Parts: sequence; C-alpha cells; structure tokens
Amino acid sequence: MMELIFSQAFVASVFRMTTPILFAALAALVQRKANILCIGNEGIMLFAAFAGVMVSAWTGSLVVGFLGGLSAGALAAFLFAYFVLQLQTDPMLIGLALNIFGSGGTIYLMFLTTGDKGSTVGISSKLFPMVEIPVLKEIPVLNSVISGHNLMVYVSIAVLFLVNWLIYKSKLGLRIRAVGENAAAAASVGTNVKRTQFIAIVAGGLIASLGGMYMSMGYLTCFSRDMIAGRSFIGIAAQNLGMGNPWITMGASVLFGIAQALANAAQALRLPTQLANMIPYVTTIVGLIVIGITEKRRDHSQKKAERIQAAVSEK
Amino acid sequence: MKGLGNKSVQTAVDIERRYDFYRTVLSILIAFFITIILIFSISSVPLKDLFSFLVGPWQSLYRISNIIEKVIPLLFTGAAVCLMFKGGQPNLAVESAFYIGALAGTAVATVQGIPPAIHFLLCAAAGAAAGAVVCGIPAYLGVRFHVMVLVSSMMMNYIVMLTGQYLLQYHMVDPSLGHVASYEYAPSARLPFLFPGTKIHFGLVIGILVIVFTSILMFKTKLGYRARTIGENVSFAKYSGIKVGGTAILIQLMGGAMAGLGGTCETLGINNRFAYGGLTSHGWDGIMLAVIAGNDPKKIPLAALFLAYIRTGADILNRSSSMPTEVVKIIQAIVIALICAKGILSKREYKAIIKNAKADEA
Repeated sequence: MMELIFSQAFVASVFRMTTPILFAALAALVQRKANILCIGNEGIMLFAAFAGVMVSAWTGSLVVGFLGGLSAGALAAFLFAYFVLQLQTDPMLIGLALNIFGSGGTIYLMFLTTGDKGSTVGISSKLFPMVEIPVLKEIPVLNSVISGHNLMVYVSIAVLFLVNWLIYKSKLGLRIRAVGENAAAAASVGTNVKRTQFIAIVAGGLIASLGGMYMSMGYLTCFSRDMIAGRSFIGIAAQNLGMGNPWITMGASVLFGIAQALANAAQALRLPTQLANMIPYVTTIVGLIVIGITEKRRDHSQKKAERIQAAVSEK
Repeated sequence: MKGLGNKSVQTAVDIERRYDFYRTVLSILIAFFITIILIFSISSVPLKDLFSFLVGPWQSLYRISNIIEKVIPLLFTGAAVCLMFKGGQPNLAVESAFYIGALAGTAVATVQGIPPAIHFLLCAAAGAAAGAVVCGIPAYLGVRFHVMVLVSSMMMNYIVMLTGQYLLQYHMVDPSLGHVASYEYAPSARLPFLFPGTKIHFGLVIGILVIVFTSILMFKTKLGYRARTIGENVSFAKYSGIKVGGTAILIQLMGGAMAGLGGTCETLGINNRFAYGGLTSHGWDGIMLAVIAGNDPKKIPLAALFLAYIRTGADILNRSSSMPTEVVKIIQAIVIALICAKGILSKREYKAIIKNAKADEA
C-alpha cells in the first residue's frame, strides 16, 4: 500500500481526482460569496460534459466543443439564476429540479443522437491534450510530479488564482461580497443586488462547466450517464471546509482528491469495489463533522470571552 | 373557502392558496405542452404516439392496474418527504432509505420457517428501522455538528447505495443464478395481491394507512405542530420553547422509517428476489410529489396517480416508438420548477389580495 501511495502514478491520480472537485468547489465558492447555495451545479456539470463531447464530435474542433460545453453550462446556470432571482423559486427545489433535468435531459439527448442510453463511447469526440512543461523536462523528480498532466489540471489552478483575484481584488468581487454579507446595506449604496447575484451564479456555472467538461473530455474519453456522481456536492463540502477561503478550499479539494485516488488504489489491492468507492463520500462527511466541531468550539470560546468581559465590566 | 363563519369573507391566505392551485395546474399543462413538442419533434407518427401517451394508460384494465402498482411505493416516499420538508428538513436520504428498506426487508424475508403474518411484520420492522437509521444519521449530524443536511444526506445516498451493492454481492447473493440477486423470498413474507391477475398488492393498503397516519401526525398532534412551526420559522420555534433539534431528528427518523417501509413493501409485493442494481429514484419522485401536493400528505395519492399515469404513458410510448422513458424525468423537472416559481402569476395574485382587502374595508 505504501509503495502504491508514494508512486508517481498515485500522484498523477490525485491530480486527476482533485481537478473536477476543485472546479466544483470554486464554483460553489463564487456563488457562496453572493450568498447563494446552488445545488444545481451537478446538473450544470452534466450538461457541460455532454455538450462538450457532442459539439466537439460534430464540429471536429476541440475549441468549438469547449465553447459549446461552456455555453450549455452557462445556459443551465442562467436558468437557475432566473428562477431563483426573477421567479422567487426556492433555490433548493430548483437546484434539485435542475439536477433531475440534467440527468434525464442528457440521457434523452444522448439516446436521440447516438441511440445509446449508457455512454457516448461510439462517438469520436475531442479530448483536452496532455501538457508537457518544456523547462521542467530536464529536472527528473519535479518533472514527473508537475509536468505531463491534462490541460484542465493546469486550468483549474489558473482558475483558482483567477477566483482569488475576482473575489478579493476586483470591483465585481467587492460587490459580490457586499451583497453576500448584507444585501440591504449593499443595495443602500447603489449596488444592484439581483444583477450581482446573477453574475455570481453564472460565473460559478461557468467554472462548474469546466469541471464537467474535464470529466468527459479528459478524465474519461466519453460522456456516460450520471458521470458527475455527486462531485458537485463534494465540491460544496470542500468549499464549506474551506470556510470561503480559496486556498483552504483548494486544500480541502486535494484532501477529497486523495480520498478518491485512495479508493482507486484500494481497488487494485482487491478491496471490494463498492467499499473502496465509499471512501470519498465518507471522507466528505467526516470533513463536515470536523468543521462543525471546530466552529462550535470557536463559538463556545467566543461566548466564554464575552461572558468574562461582561463580568469584568460589571465590576 | 372557509371564512370566519361567513362564506363570502376570504382572507389573503385563501387567495394565496388559490393561486398556488392555479400555478400547479398551469405547470402541469405547460409540462404536457412541452411533452407534446418533444413527441412531435422526434416521432414519425406523432398523432398516434401522442394518443398512445395520453390515452394509452387507460385503454385496458391491465394498464390501469399498472398505474396503481406504480402509485404504491410513491405513497410512502411522498408522505415521508411531506413530513420532513414541512418541518424544514431537506433530507435527501429518502432515496437511499427506500433502497436500504428493501434490502433490510429482504434479509429477513429470505429466512424460512416464520409464520406468515409475523414474518411480514418482522420484515417491515427491519425495513423501517434501516430507513430510519439512514435518514437519522444526517439528521443527527445536522443537529449535533451543524453539518448541512442537504450535502450530508446526498453523501449518505452514495454510501448507502454502495453498502447495499456490497452486501448484496458478497453476502446475500444467490450463487445459483446467472445474475446478481438475493435468495428467493419465503412465501410467508410476501405481500398478497389484492386483485387476481394484477400486481396490485397489499402494500396499497399499508401505503394509504401511512398517508392517513402522516396526515394526522402533521396536523393533529403536538409533534406535528412543532415540526410545522420549525419549518416556518426556526427562530420563532426556538423562542417559543420548542426543542428544535430533538423534533428535527424525530421527524427525520419517522420519514426515513416510512421510506424504508415503502421499500420493503414494494419489493415484497412485486418481486420474488431483491434485484435492484442501484438506487430506485422513488425518493426523488417523492420530492416531486411533495412539491405538487404542497407538502400536504392528503394530496399525495392524487399527485402519485398523476406521476404514475405519465410514467405508464411513457412506458407505452417507449415500446411503440423511439421515445426514451427519460422524458418523464424532464417532465418532472419542469413541473417542480414551475410549481415552485412563486413569481409566476404573482402580480395577479398581489392585485387580487389588494382588491380583496379594499372590498373588506368598504
């Protein structure tokens, strides 16, 4: 087992597993900053994964396929935003509806276009390329760890920096945070609350779409039904664990990525598939419990401090 | 409309209810309209297909019995979701509670030599207990550690599904079969069929009892009142002395037990072995039904009839043409989305309320 974990293949596996979760977590993070919990990201990722495969297969172009996937995801996010903000729909229920729609809609379209309800295995779609970083080629260990991953792995790291910049350095990010923390106060200084939330939801949807496309055009080479398998929810958990901080969120995503890589490695060691596949989901729940305990403790010590202060000031 | 002893008096709440009803009808009509478009867009004989979708399910006694069979499991999950959602607990683990209920029931049902009625009761107890545990874990974590129930219950669904698949494949499988399924159920555990020639089984009666029970629980008992108060306003519930955590856990345990019982009844009613490959979607269906029924268990049977009708129509269409049955999922999503969209017709609703208030003043 130890040999397996410290192997190069395992490290590569962690990168592969972390990427979709990181995308999902960053999407949830942008939306959370605007005080929106979008559980519909699962459906958004499914639509993007499917559209990316189909459009790239039809046009024979990776770039057009990529844009197709992005637009499909953005459209789904737009629907969510429109229902929540314009039609005053309960975000949880519309999120569930979007997930059901994503699952059923992609299978329906897949069957109509390919005649298959399981996967698009028969279709030759484009894939994101593997990237060799030129300078690192000469350095033996670093090269094997950092270089040679799928393009989207690097994109996810770029998006991490971009999200950090967007939230903390840009004007839009300031508005998003203001709306998320106190919508009434933000509105009183002239921020359009609905529009800002709209932008945050769709921006999150675009990031989630990247994760969806990575699943079908990098992680696997085709779309298969319900292939996101709860990764958007794991992303929400990672974002929760990260307490809204992009860097801690990344750390949590890596943790869940390791859990999934372990699950794969454990299968090689003849642990029953089902038990191995459980590892990431159990890790997620454990992670959420840990954050719950620490938050409670923080609340507790805060209250204690307040009590002491009150006692002191009484004297 | 009930007024304060005077039939002509209507309150804003009455108007809101009426508009909720309009929205529901409108949503279902729009969903049908979209289905018609979908049929016309892919069918070579659209009118014939449309006919078999809409009228087909009522064309023979056998098909009508098909509809009723499909209604039975939905009564359980629908009631479970009503109870939990009305209490403000968005626990999605109903989905896996149904599945694990069927599996736990199976574990007891494959034991031979227990007297008939007692055998089923033991199966039912096992199924309900398993379901309660599955919904209870996210509930407990939510109350004790503030873990978001929405996320943890979703994780729970995957964990329970994988556990079930593992148990079935490694500990409960009948190796003499060519496919993965449990040993055959003892006849003493099976639920009897109500009408000869159909698969409508005794689960229907149990399901209706569950609906009645949930309805009384929610609207006639202290626990139900507490749960509804929490669902409407947690802070108010807290300040009026309701034990929020305990009540939340209790209703989720009960919801899980109902879903688990539903799983047991379903599999012991129509199957002779456990052969579910994965989650069955009955929980998701329950959520849709609760939305249509406005979380009122009394309306669940009607909503279930609607869903079972569309699904039977889709099955017929699937056999006669190339329409995939997933079209039902699309309809489900549209119906949920539109019914929940309070913004639709909201201007009219607002005007009606204002008009009513002015008429009262005059």
